[in-house]
Amino acid sequence: MPSFARSIAFRWALGIALWSTLLSLLLFAFVYWQTAAFMQEELAQVLRHEARYVAQDPTKAAVRIETWVSEDLHSVHFAGLFGADGRRLAGNLEARPADLPLDGEVHRIATQVAIAGRRLHEELWSAARSLDDGTVVVVAHDTDEIDRAKATVIRALGLALVPTLAFSILGGVLLAGRARRRLAATEAAVARVMRGDLRQRLPVGQAGDEFDRLARDVNGMLDEIERLVEEVRGVGDAVAHDLRTPLTRLRLRLERGRQQAQDIGELRQAVDQGLAWIDQTLEMVTAVLRIGEIEHGRRCAAFGPVDLRLVVSEAVEFFEPLAEEKGVALALDIDDVVPSVAGDRSLIFEAVSNLLDNAVKFTPAHGRVGVGVLRRNGEAVIVVEDTGPGIPTAERDQVFRRFYRMERARQTQGNGLGLGLVAAIAKLHGFSLTLSERPGGGCRFAVACPASRGPAAGPERAAALGH
Amino acid sequence: MARLLLIEDDAATAEEVLGDLRGRGHAVVWASTGPDGARAARAESWNAIILDRMLPGLDGLTLLRDLRGSGDRTPALVLSALGDVDERIRGLRAGGDDYLGKPFVLGELAARIEALLRRPTDTRETVLRVGSLEIDLIAGTGRRGARDLDLLPRELKLLEYLMRRPGQVVTRAMMFEEVWNYRFTPKSNLIDVHLGRLRRKLEVGGEPILIQNVRGEGFTLTPDA
Repeated sequence: MPSFARSIAFRWALGIALWSTLLSLLLFAFVYWQTAAFMQEELAQVLRHEARYVAQDPTKAAVRIETWVSEDLHSVHFAGLFGADGRRLAGNLEARPADLPLDGEVHRIATQVAIAGRRLHEELWSAARSLDDGTVVVVAHDTDEIDRAKATVIRALGLALVPTLAFSILGGVLLAGRARRRLAATEAAVARVMRGDLRQRLPVGQAGDEFDRLARDVNGMLDEIERLVEEVRGVGDAVAHDLRTPLTRLRLRLERGRQQAQDIGELRQAVDQGLAWIDQTLEMVTAVLRIGEIEHGRRCAAFGPVDLRLVVSEAVEFFEPLAEEKGVALALDIDDVVPSVAGDRSLIFEAVSNLLDNAVKFTPAHGRVGVGVLRRNGEAVIVVEDTGPGIPTAERDQVFRRFYRMERARQTQGNGLGLGLVAAIAKLHGFSLTLSERPGGGCRFAVACPASRGPAAGPERAAALGH
Repeated sequence: MARLLLIEDDAATAEEVLGDLRGRGHAVVWASTGPDGARAARAESWNAIILDRMLPGLDGLTLLRDLRGSGDRTPALVLSALGDVDERIRGLRAGGDDYLGKPFVLGELAARIEALLRRPTDTRETVLRVGSLEIDLIAGTGRRGARDLDLLPRELKLLEYLMRRPGQVVTRAMMFEEVWNYRFTPKSNLIDVHLGRLRRKLEVGGEPILIQNVRGEGFTLTPDA
């Protein structure tokens, strides 16, 4: 129970119950005050009017007072006509109340009255006026009626208050309990996640309220964390695996060379083969470190305005002989005006090189690799497409991961880091990298590069500089 | 034969570098700490200094900056396990003439040292001749003997780079950095493919070979005749 009392849901429920009770009380007070004021004013009107009526004609005053007293069935009307000397001339009031001002207004006073021969002390609402002949008329009404009405209202309100309070606390407790049960399920799921079970997800209700939205967001976050952890785990495993293979080969080769080499030439051959495998291994380690370095954004010193048309043309030119040797056509299509982007030209060249390397590698002889630097919606877009076998939809998201190599690519040279590096470079620059299917088969990589604020690189600018 | 100073704290690395460079005919002295290296650098005159980026006692870049501050222009190559480009820029700004990230291949280091020792004397020359080869950088033309060569602009640049360093081994990375002017290690054998194409234009029929592959190191242009 103490933990329940500490829970935020409980405290909120209690707070809301108290607040609604307080509001009810205020409402009650207002109703009471209005009702009492209304009844009192009604009575005051009657008394003021009667006093004026009686005082209008001194000759008929006594008669009118007797009428006022006699038309009352419940013995609540009182009146008195007193002479200038204070003697009672008519009515049922014993004596003229000493402290009652003769202003015709209504005042609450206590005085002696005679009802059915009995003398009683009564609280009265009274109005008094003096007549022209010096006599004084007093008209009064019992206060009991109004007092009783007020008491009734207060009692009714008081009685209603108890259930109101009870129901609002009950409602609060029910709501708090419901929220608490929901939280408990969430807490349990979070606890399991904290114990290391990253597959756990928070329960999401159907209501779509803030709580559900929060749970959905947290689940999204968990998806991302799980993916990253999987990736890290995958990278660790992949590095270990990819290192073990060449190291094993190296060990065997060196061992065999040492035992079987007949002359220095054969020994050198074994060592050379070993060196080649070590280079391959080091290349991979370097690539892993480079991706890490780029992903952590530690390379910004070399950032500057980059003309993508130039960098991409140079990359295409760089790959031209290789494509030619493989019998793959390499076509370049550049828009006249392409926005300049901010970046590291060497890294962008490296990214384009990796895409080209990939495209040329997987395109069979007589195929075609098309490269474009285009302007789309004010952005520069680098497109590299090939007529190779393409990448199945299911694998498209994974190719940008480190060490991902499609089964059929296992046979070809490479360490599965090329596209991971492209993704890292794109991310560092804020470029968006997408992979789709080329119409007619093959892959289509597109790198959308938001323009830097500098002027666009294009013929106009060159012309402007020329003049 | 050149007199070289190696400032490197890792004894195993130093031993390999010393062995390799001495095998190539250089006289190399080894200093294992920053202060020792600084003393040695000032005490004698050297043809080139190879220094590690991170040294005990005195940081390699600080050492280099001090040396440059006192007017010493000895060519220096900075070695570093920190491979990233920002680090490279820092190394060059401190006064390094070249930068090589670890791990490196001994051939790469030797070729770069060689390049530092034999810096092209007159780079303003626009007509270069090596043996029967001749190129005119302004006209963009080349000839081997009486035969005109049909060279693409990049091939001309590549040939120029080699012709300014006749008989010197240049590595793939050096060519990529200087001819293409980008800084990273390109994958596969792209440089070889470019050189192959150039060679097919230079060495037609039974003509003597000009560009040779130096196993495990790079390429060299050997003057014919």
